[in-house]
Amino acid sequence: MILEFSFRFDQFSIFIASSIAIFTLLIGLYALIFMKGNRASGQFLVYFFLNCFFAIGAVLANNLILLLFFWESLLLTMFGMIMVGGRESYKTAIKAFIIIGITDLCMMVGIALTGQLAGTFTMSAISVSTAGLGGFAFIMLMIGALAKAGAMPFHTWIPDAASDAPLPFMALIPGALEKLIGIYFLTRVSLELFKIEPASWASLLLMIVGAVTIIFAVLMALIQKDFKKLLSYHAISQVGYMVLGIGTALPVGIIGGLFHMINNALYKSCLFLTGGAVEKEAGTTDLTKLGGLAWQMPVTFACFVVAALSISGVPPFNGFFSKELVYDGALERGWIFYAVAVAGSFFTAASFLKLGHAAFLGRSDTKSKEAPWPMLLPMVVIAAACIIFGVYNTLPIDRIIAPILGSHALEGHKFSGLPANMFLVLMTLIVLAGAVLNHLYGVKKSGKAIGAADHIHYAPVMHSLYDRAEKKIFDPYEIGMKLANVAARILYGIDRFVDWFYEVFTVRIVLLFTSLIKWAHSGNISTYVIWSLVGSIAVLVMAWR
Amino acid sequence: MMNKEALLLAAIFAPIFGALILPLLGRVSQGLRNNTALALVALSCLCSLSFIPSVMGGKNIIFSFALPLSLSLTFYADTLAVFMAVVSSFIGAIIVLYSFDYISHYDNQNEYYLMVVLFLGAMMGLVYSANLIYLFLFWEITAIACWRLIGFYRGQRDVLKADKAFLVTVFGALVMLIGFVAIFQQTGTFNLIIMRGQVLPDIIVALILFGILSKSATLPFQTWLPDAGVAPSPVTALLHAAVLVKIGVYVFARLFLMTFMISSSWHATVMMIAGASALVAAGAALVETDIKRLVAYSTISQIGFIFLGLAAGNMVGAVGGLLYILMHGLAKGGLFLCAGIIEQNAKTKDITRMGGLIRTMPVTAMAFLFCAFSVMGIPPLGGFFSKFMVISGGIKSGEIWLTLVFIVGAFMTILYLFRAFTLIFLGESKGYPSREGSKMMVACVALLAILSLAGGLLANYPIGFLKTAGYQMVGLLK
Repeated sequence: MILEFSFRFDQFSIFIASSIAIFTLLIGLYALIFMKGNRASGQFLVYFFLNCFFAIGAVLANNLILLLFFWESLLLTMFGMIMVGGRESYKTAIKAFIIIGITDLCMMVGIALTGQLAGTFTMSAISVSTAGLGGFAFIMLMIGALAKAGAMPFHTWIPDAASDAPLPFMALIPGALEKLIGIYFLTRVSLELFKIEPASWASLLLMIVGAVTIIFAVLMALIQKDFKKLLSYHAISQVGYMVLGIGTALPVGIIGGLFHMINNALYKSCLFLTGGAVEKEAGTTDLTKLGGLAWQMPVTFACFVVAALSISGVPPFNGFFSKELVYDGALERGWIFYAVAVAGSFFTAASFLKLGHAAFLGRSDTKSKEAPWPMLLPMVVIAAACIIFGVYNTLPIDRIIAPILGSHALEGHKFSGLPANMFLVLMTLIVLAGAVLNHLYGVKKSGKAIGAADHIHYAPVMHSLYDRAEKKIFDPYEIGMKLANVAARILYGIDRFVDWFYEVFTVRIVLLFTSLIKWAHSGNISTYVIWSLVGSIAVLVMAWR
Repeated sequence: MMNKEALLLAAIFAPIFGALILPLLGRVSQGLRNNTALALVALSCLCSLSFIPSVMGGKNIIFSFALPLSLSLTFYADTLAVFMAVVSSFIGAIIVLYSFDYISHYDNQNEYYLMVVLFLGAMMGLVYSANLIYLFLFWEITAIACWRLIGFYRGQRDVLKADKAFLVTVFGALVMLIGFVAIFQQTGTFNLIIMRGQVLPDIIVALILFGILSKSATLPFQTWLPDAGVAPSPVTALLHAAVLVKIGVYVFARLFLMTFMISSSWHATVMMIAGASALVAAGAALVETDIKRLVAYSTISQIGFIFLGLAAGNMVGAVGGLLYILMHGLAKGGLFLCAGIIEQNAKTKDITRMGGLIRTMPVTAMAFLFCAFSVMGIPPLGGFFSKFMVISGGIKSGEIWLTLVFIVGAFMTILYLFRAFTLIFLGESKGYPSREGSKMMVACVALLAILSLAGGLLANYPIGFLKTAGYQMVGLLK
């Protein structure tokens, strides 16, 4: 009745599951070296591989409850992996657990409701409309999927984890795996379970979430002064492109979104891995202290450059092609979405110019050497994949992603090869050139690489907004915790009122009653005689009647 | 079948009469008394376990002894009763084992074991009774045992709180008794098997509900439960997590799902009361700083979820509600026993004065965490299935908004349990010396944590068993 153990092996689930396995393998190899010397490395690896198991289970499940079982189990491994980061990392671990845990509960409601509406929990048999309660179920499921993928407003634990959690965690979980399963579920729900239409509110909602995530996260990334923290904001921002692309509900956008998902997993994990190599060898990820690492760590630098060019959307790397597809879809749905996406690209490029410049170029104060080969190997493999997925993009698009939609949805279009819309390509190149100019201007103005974004950071209105964001005033988690505390005080007040009823009110009533009886029993004989007389008369009167 | 009937009687009367000789054994040897107490509870558990194959096969066991005035002594073991008996006697046995060390340096141990075993025996009698009057009788025996146990430390405050618990629950029980008598007026019998399928008027339902809610510490009768946290920790685990508060829930299932038809408006009403209770108690748990009161509020809140499942009026909700009894009993029992270890070794109950205890008591900390995960409903622990099923049942009943109230309660469950875990185990130590509990006590909490995990991985066994109970229910909206 409750848990039907059924799995589903189709193009999509096999693709995601095998990607998860490959990423876990590569980053696992990296983690073996990286975690050496950490007291909790054994524990970490247990969570690391269990995590892979749960994630693959969630992806292959064909029953929504089974999916929820694996999906929510990821909470435990995530919690454990952040916990082993250090003595103070428990705060982040708990924050992550609470955010994801609460959104998972929303997803639980969504799943229960979807099952109720569809009459089955078997995913391949579900087809529900987004009208009425279906719309509510859709939103609840989306909350779960978006939170897992790390979209706004469920993202705030990721930057915190960047400084607290061990790096392989960042590279695997927010970097690759959560995007894969979050976007996987989002795609399944919006395109299969609910089949949203381009003109629907559901599609618009997803696009708005995507656009908002892109722009705000990238603006936060721009001003970061820590290698890992900067990357973590990009891990959020890039989700926006995927959600935007899939949210268009147009084939081009969906293919772009899915292609971007796998591309992002590649370059983002590669970037985190280079960050880890820097952390391990230079002893810090603080950009104010780093510099000139390019000549000391050439392989790491090369991988970083490839991944950074990919994420910035420079041709012919993989990020370029997927972004062009997303742009194409976004432009068709509304110029505003396109404008936001392109602006996001501008800031992405700007922040990676700043990051690369500050960390790898310039003067070096530290003596570092190249990382050992088990750490380099995963980076090189992933960086190579970034190039291959760009240059030979027919391989991932035509072989893997397009079949997911099925041939009838493609209507004979071909999405691989060079982008069809040359206007978009031109715009992209202009924006990238703009980012380079902006970087040169920023460096010249502040006099150092790390200050390349200062002219944006300290611009009149931006400055105060950034200050508040840094103080976590906009953090939904902090706001939610405050609200929960206020609610708890009020509820506790109700509880205390009920207790007052038992402890004080009832006692007073009883005392009042007993004092009346006491007063009647005065010990005075004549009073008793009068009482008896009155009583006897009453009895006689009643008997006589 | 004679054999099965004898086992049924043994399951009930071995602990009840056995309890009476425990004080005598205590005069001879403490070890003998302790082991006998454990053996009595374990015997009861084994007897109940032995009924599983036969009730699964649809053969319920009846023992009947005719007495005049409709007072025939009838015991009836069906799936629901066996489930409840196994859960309470099994968790009871673990708690008795834990008590060996916990209680070993206090006075009045003879009375302690007498009352604990008597309480468990009465619980067995209650779940197997098929006669309303005997059900009431055992109900009151549990109240008396509970009263003595809450006031175990004999302080002025302890005794007052014990009185409060006794007065509130007995008041509820007396109102319920009026309901029972009214049922007799209508049907001419106290026998539950005979009156199966009858329609119950609203007024009687309301009267009985009074007793059920007071025993299960549901709003507006909840406050005796946190106050009863003055009792020793194994007692709070026994009374407030695993057994006593489940009596009300059990009687609800027995009367309103298994026996009578009630008008469907009651489903929404009970869900509303339970929702308010779940929310208010969760809020209180988020404010409370005394560890045992905090866990007690958590119990009140979780009881609300059980009522949600049982009142949902559909199969998945009812099975989920019953499963919740098992999963919550294991996990919450574990939390209370952890609280006992902490309270004995950190010498305080105030969580704001603890901190960093994970370094001195790692096993307790992990057990606490796992039990907390189970209460939160995180897979692969058992709490996940029960929570999903009651929520699913709530949604199936059509009361979506009411179910969302419970979801808010579930949010708060995550918050308050993490708040407790952080304040107790993480961060910097506040200077209180602490050490790990004794081997036996730690083993008990670890066992409960492991069972919570096993409950999730092997959830299909209890669910399958409870489904046979679900098929026998007459109160489900078909």
